[in-house]
Amino acid sequence: MRNLKPIIIIAFLAGILSWLVAWWMIAAVSFVVTVNHKLKPRDGFLSGFIGVALLWLGFVLWRDIPNEHILANRLVGPGLLPLPNGWMLMLLTVILGGLIGGLAGWSGAIMNKAFRK
Amino acid sequence: MRKLPAILLLVVTTAIVYMLDKPLGSLPAVGKLLDPISGCWANAEPVNKDFTREDNFPGLKDEASVSFDENLIPHINAKNDYDLYYIQGYVHAYFRLWQMDLQTRAAAGRLSEILGDKTLSFDRLQRRKGMVYGAEQSLKAMEADPRSKQMLDAYTAGINAFIDSRIFRTYPLEYKLIGFKPEQWTNLKTALLLKYMADDLTGYTEDIAMTALRDALSADEFAMLYPERLSGVNTVIPHDTIQQVPSLKIPVAPADSIAWAHLNADDFEKTEEGKGSNNWALSGSRTKSGAPILSNDPHLGLSMPSLWFVAQLTAPGVNVFGATLPGAPGVVIGFNDNISWGFTNNYRDVKDFYTLKETGKNSYWFNGKETQYENRVEVIKIKGKPDYNDTVHYTVQGPVMYDERFHGPGGLKRPMAMCWMAHQPSNEMLALYLLNRANNYETYTKAIWNFLCPAQNMLYADKAGNIALWGQGQFINKWKEQGRYVMNGADSSTLWGEKIPVSENPHAYNPAQGYLASANQTVTDTTYPYWYNGTFYEFRSWRINSVLRQTHHATVQDMFALQNDVYSILAANVLPVMLQHINASTITDKERGYLDMLGNWDYCLTAESKAATVFQVWWENFYNVLWNAKLSKIHNAIKPSPERTMQLLLQGSPYLGNVDDAVANSLHNSIDSLDKLKHENRLEWYHAKNTTIKHLARLAPFSFSDLKLGGWGNVVNAAKGDHGPSWRMVVQMSKNIDAYGVYPGGQSGNPGSKYYATFLDKWVKGEYYKLNFYTTDKKQTPKYIWTIHAKS
Repeated sequence: MRNLKPIIIIAFLAGILSWLVAWWMIAAVSFVVTVNHKLKPRDGFLSGFIGVALLWLGFVLWRDIPNEHILANRLVGPGLLPLPNGWMLMLLTVILGGLIGGLAGWSGAIMNKAFRK
Repeated sequence: MRKLPAILLLVVTTAIVYMLDKPLGSLPAVGKLLDPISGCWANAEPVNKDFTREDNFPGLKDEASVSFDENLIPHINAKNDYDLYYIQGYVHAYFRLWQMDLQTRAAAGRLSEILGDKTLSFDRLQRRKGMVYGAEQSLKAMEADPRSKQMLDAYTAGINAFIDSRIFRTYPLEYKLIGFKPEQWTNLKTALLLKYMADDLTGYTEDIAMTALRDALSADEFAMLYPERLSGVNTVIPHDTIQQVPSLKIPVAPADSIAWAHLNADDFEKTEEGKGSNNWALSGSRTKSGAPILSNDPHLGLSMPSLWFVAQLTAPGVNVFGATLPGAPGVVIGFNDNISWGFTNNYRDVKDFYTLKETGKNSYWFNGKETQYENRVEVIKIKGKPDYNDTVHYTVQGPVMYDERFHGPGGLKRPMAMCWMAHQPSNEMLALYLLNRANNYETYTKAIWNFLCPAQNMLYADKAGNIALWGQGQFINKWKEQGRYVMNGADSSTLWGEKIPVSENPHAYNPAQGYLASANQTVTDTTYPYWYNGTFYEFRSWRINSVLRQTHHATVQDMFALQNDVYSILAANVLPVMLQHINASTITDKERGYLDMLGNWDYCLTAESKAATVFQVWWENFYNVLWNAKLSKIHNAIKPSPERTMQLLLQGSPYLGNVDDAVANSLHNSIDSLDKLKHENRLEWYHAKNTTIKHLARLAPFSFSDLKLGGWGNVVNAAKGDHGPSWRMVVQMSKNIDAYGVYPGGQSGNPGSKYYATFLDKWVKGEYYKLNFYTTDKKQTPKYIWTIHAKS
């Protein structure tokens, strides 16, 4: 698994920098890490996606399980987040995080390829 | 050639991230919100969260502690007043910051800053009412007294200590959803919150409608339909306790031609029926234990988070428990080691209107002279739009609420100034400060005399066995009918005159009847020497009085039962008459089917009663049909009260017109609504009325609807659609105080907390929590403790 290392680095760094700076550090980190690792575009996307999705999944579960799902269920419904239940909100969160990470990772890989001599 | 797509992708990615970081239209910043690290997920509070902590608070003078019981009711223990109110501010903010912030912004007319221009007209109305002006006046009075000043300063410092410790991750959830952030608290915000309550309780504007009615109806008919005082009422203050000799001379009314304005504009704000409260106290002669029992359930708009937050405050010289108002220091309704007290709204009219004759852009006619307006430029900030400036004119009477630039509801555009007690300096904070520390009837009265607006029926019971009730507020010595209708603003004879000394306010102390009760009914009979009018409600009072008259050996459980009583005096009186007017030969089978459901009805608006639904729907239609026929020419007229309607109906009064027709037509009209309810399987009364507790931001998933409880505004358990008993309390003043309470909500304002709606279930069922009042000689076992050190 060539991609394992960047995935772990992305999840780790994005976690720390999101906590300290702002949520969009997930994109910045995915971009920088894929540039650094000279990944192929497909691997860049996957590393970003999986790295951030894992990070967000971990945090969602860490918040949700001790909360016994109270907040997740309160946030969904007509007039707020039109989803059928709290599980879907968790899934949506993780996919959103993954897509942002993936896009940024893909961008990083492509940029690297385009400007590499 | 590979560079362009790469740059393009980077740009697109950046744009997407940027967009997810900013709110889009009414959508929140989705990325920022869903980020599980700092977004909404960070507000998921672990269900077994350990609230225990040890901390330093900046600016605290001494050590202090807060003990929480299992429902998160805090018992704050401080070594001095400053620390006590500091920690109360901190605790309020800790659990309810967003609500406090939103409500004070609403009071000040600043919602558009965070919600955009959809709330602009609301904000303008607030400014036009002079809400900030009134708060500023009161703040001056509050800051002039060292006790209330210290109370406010400490409270503000406590809230700000909490706000300063917040970052985006730890903001209350609603800030993240709506997309704004907490701002620093000020003493003015507390004053604004009190004006918000005053507006809720004395804010009605029916003088305008009454003027139109008086002008349209014959004098005889008007007096019959809208009597100044209803007969046959059980007044708040019993007849035999009225002090009949006034210290002030009753003023003589000016000639009608000078006093009154006549209106052509025909619209007005609708008042809502049955917004009110109940309180009653039994003296020891009527209770089983021999100790007085005090009961109170203030009816207010029901919302999540709840208006109330329960707490105990202990410091040298004070040990008080009860309902506190997040945004204001002290306990509003509750008890201490010696006394207990409760409030209901008094409803004497303290808000009057004057028509103005404008003589120019910036002047009006007064006492034969052109007089300049004083102007107050109200700058309303609007999210995403330029500021909106509204110049509000002030006359000798008060702010010009309506004019060409800001129409009253229905297009009232004639300039109209408002004179309102809430604009006068008053120090309700000092009233609460002293009330929380009062230990007998004398100190109680001294305390409440500082409470000037909104006027309240202030009930009292003490451990020594006394009960008392004051119709307390600041009132004006008015000439007959002054302020009942819109007055002529061009003459000084219509201005408010002297203030009635508060010591002459109607009151009763240990009356012969052995109990006292108020439920927003008429305050006194005509032996009270000063003239007043008001919007009074009688049904709950009739019921409470009839029950209490027959109550002996009462227990707290009897009081629970009465607070949850749903017997409808209206139904018991009018339904038999309505049924008599039915012409059996003309009704349809379907109508007969519904009428049969009323057959054995006990007149109780219980949750599961279908008969209650049939009656309520039919009555509503009947009342409208009856008066619409009569008042159709007067657009949007206020109808005679249901109480008066009932009396006229029982008397067979000719003023009602054709009752047979009204009964038949209204029954016919009711069928569609009833069929619809039946079809949806919602014929049970609790479905039909749908008591709902809405989140303050109207977010449905944070709200609770279709709650299974009976009641209505005109029965003791006044749970309507979105109004109802906001705090039920019963206190027996025995040696060890025996107190119970419940409110529809929970201590935490966080929808992600298990304490968000802790008490709702018991409130719906009419059950109570025993209130755990800490005293020095009682061993306590708190669940969590905050140990707080002063920062050195």
